[in-house]
Amino acid sequence: MTLAPARAGRQVITALIDEVTVESIATEAWIALVGEDEVLVPLAGDLPAETLSAWVDVVGPWTGSVVLTTGRQTAADLTRALLREAAPELLDHEDVVDAFGEIANVVGGNVKASLPGPSTLGLPQVGAAPAVRNPEDVCRLGVLWRGQPLVVSVQGALPPLPSPHTPNENPHQNGASL
Amino acid sequence: MKILVADDSRVMRQIVIRTLRQAGYDDHDIVEAEDGRDAYDKVQAENPDLVLSDWNMPNMTGLECLQALRSSGSAVPFGFVTSEGSADMREKAADAGALFLIAKPFTEETFRENLDGVIA
Repeated sequence: MTLAPARAGRQVITALIDEVTVESIATEAWIALVGEDEVLVPLAGDLPAETLSAWVDVVGPWTGSVVLTTGRQTAADLTRALLREAAPELLDHEDVVDAFGEIANVVGGNVKASLPGPSTLGLPQVGAAPAVRNPEDVCRLGVLWRGQPLVVSVQGALPPLPSPHTPNENPHQNGASL
Repeated sequence: MKILVADDSRVMRQIVIRTLRQAGYDDHDIVEAEDGRDAYDKVQAENPDLVLSDWNMPNMTGLECLQALRSSGSAVPFGFVTSEGSADMREKAADAGALFLIAKPFTEETFRENLDGVIA
């Protein structure tokens, strides 16, 4: 059997969504929110030292976060692109939190829609990215926007699944959601 | 005509208002609300002709706002503009009395398709 994740009734994200789908969702969000001519180039780049993340949590049969991470300057540029003529000369951190969080909200909402339900979506959060709990439960897409790197990570919030010989601590054999 | 735009994101409220204008609905009064509770209060105070509301908001969700409005006897035309457009949510929205659900990301064409006939 190769269906180890299904043994505990829970699938890892790579069994549920692929990078192409995530890229398609992100591209559509960019065109609608950032601008019609704003393309995402599917090339991974090295993130700068100073990054900012925006994410929403998904809770359901698959539980985790949809996390966007980019350089702080790129997050500010994205904010200006969303605000367009309404962008102030000096951006507040609140503006960046609002705009970057809303992009994560739209991308996350559409990722959630492509996952098995029912599940719920949390409110957007902005800050340092939540830690990857299980490297096997991650779908990671690296893109370039205006030449700057941005990462979309759909990552599980739960620890790695127990090995077959470990006593099962999960009372929900079928992965029942609360 | 008066349109109430409810979203906890100021940026998204601006995008919704901008898209309304791009879709040709540029001659209406806009009232903004920053969550479902604020939207509920402003429907009572401002008596809008249409509510465009996000779903997922703090204090009171868009769905709770709609349900509270209907319970209070308000029949204000109400549509959702939300990042989630699953069949389940569309059904919940319709059951609660929403006219439509526009999923984000949206375009001005999506707005026209849903709002023609609702906005004079």
